[in-house]
Amino acid sequence: MSVTVARVEPSIAGVGDYIALLKPRVMSLVVFTALVGIVIAPGHVHPVIAFTALMCIAVGAGAAGALNMWYDADIDARMARTAGRPIPQGRVTPGEALGFGGTLAVFSTVTLGLLVNWMAAALLAFTILFYVVIYTMWLKRWTPQNIVIGGAAGALPPIIGWAAVTGSVAIEPVLLFLIIFFWTPPHFWALSLYRAEDYARAGVPMLPVVAGETATRRQIVIYTLILAPLGVTPWLLGYAGPLYGIAALAAGAAMIALALRVWSETESHAASKQMFAFSILYLFLLFAVLLVDRVSGGLIAQAIAHVAP
Amino acid sequence: MTMSGAMNQADKPETGIRLTEAQLRARRARSIAIALALGAFVIVIFVVTLVKLGGNVLTRPM
Repeated sequence: MSVTVARVEPSIAGVGDYIALLKPRVMSLVVFTALVGIVIAPGHVHPVIAFTALMCIAVGAGAAGALNMWYDADIDARMARTAGRPIPQGRVTPGEALGFGGTLAVFSTVTLGLLVNWMAAALLAFTILFYVVIYTMWLKRWTPQNIVIGGAAGALPPIIGWAAVTGSVAIEPVLLFLIIFFWTPPHFWALSLYRAEDYARAGVPMLPVVAGETATRRQIVIYTLILAPLGVTPWLLGYAGPLYGIAALAAGAAMIALALRVWSETESHAASKQMFAFSILYLFLLFAVLLVDRVSGGLIAQAIAHVAP
Repeated sequence: MTMSGAMNQADKPETGIRLTEAQLRARRARSIAIALALGAFVIVIFVVTLVKLGGNVLTRPM
């Protein structure tokens, strides 16, 4: 009987490759939206506990990214946007990425549960599982609704942040969830419009590949028309001040204007590129203003209480 | 062991994997990163323990 032993080359992966597996840009948006969830939550949380919760959420998001790169290495290798990632480049083996992501996923969830609370930990575990199993393994290769449903994973961090403080879930972070949820399709479809060939080559059924550009442009307009009013609801329902309301109205109007430009554009993809770039700014702006609004509101309330006790 | 036996041992080429300079550098960098991450984790656990226990750290049944 002969035994074949696969020869494994010693790894040349640097620290930077492992950081790349964590998808730092996605992680930064996750951390930021989770921070807003923490800040707007009622009640007090010790800054060290809040910091620990943020770290766990960041590492959990990174773990989901690493597990996504492990499973999607074949797709990544065929797409120009992702061909430079550590696994397609051969610097990290899929097994290393799986071990790295799996370890971090378990560590981040258990740490969040032990040090903060188990509601937040359960939500983090659900987010990682949803992103890896439901989105990456199932939806991404199967349906053009992949990013619509899969977007739920990216929308959960504000709820996790809120749960880290309160131990429960309420309507306020759910509104933030809905904003990110309805923001995701126009954001990614704008990208997929000018990356359609890439997705087609990789066999990913993104909307422009399956339904064509016209249908995608129409869907971008529809989702943006839902998103813009939704963005204003935290102010309308009294969860945010007028500063947020004005910013959300202005940014929402700009998003609609851009979506209409994407709709009317037929030849080039200039508007799609603008829409993709502006959508990032839109989400950042909404959450940043909400953060400022809440922090400044708290400071003003403190000052009033100090002057007139 | 005879003299010639010892010579043969020394002449034998080393078996196993010999790491290149780049592989050694990468391994060292990874090891340092793991050490820093573990150190940070220990500090987080320590500080959170202090925060959670607070003054109660001194209150215990004798």
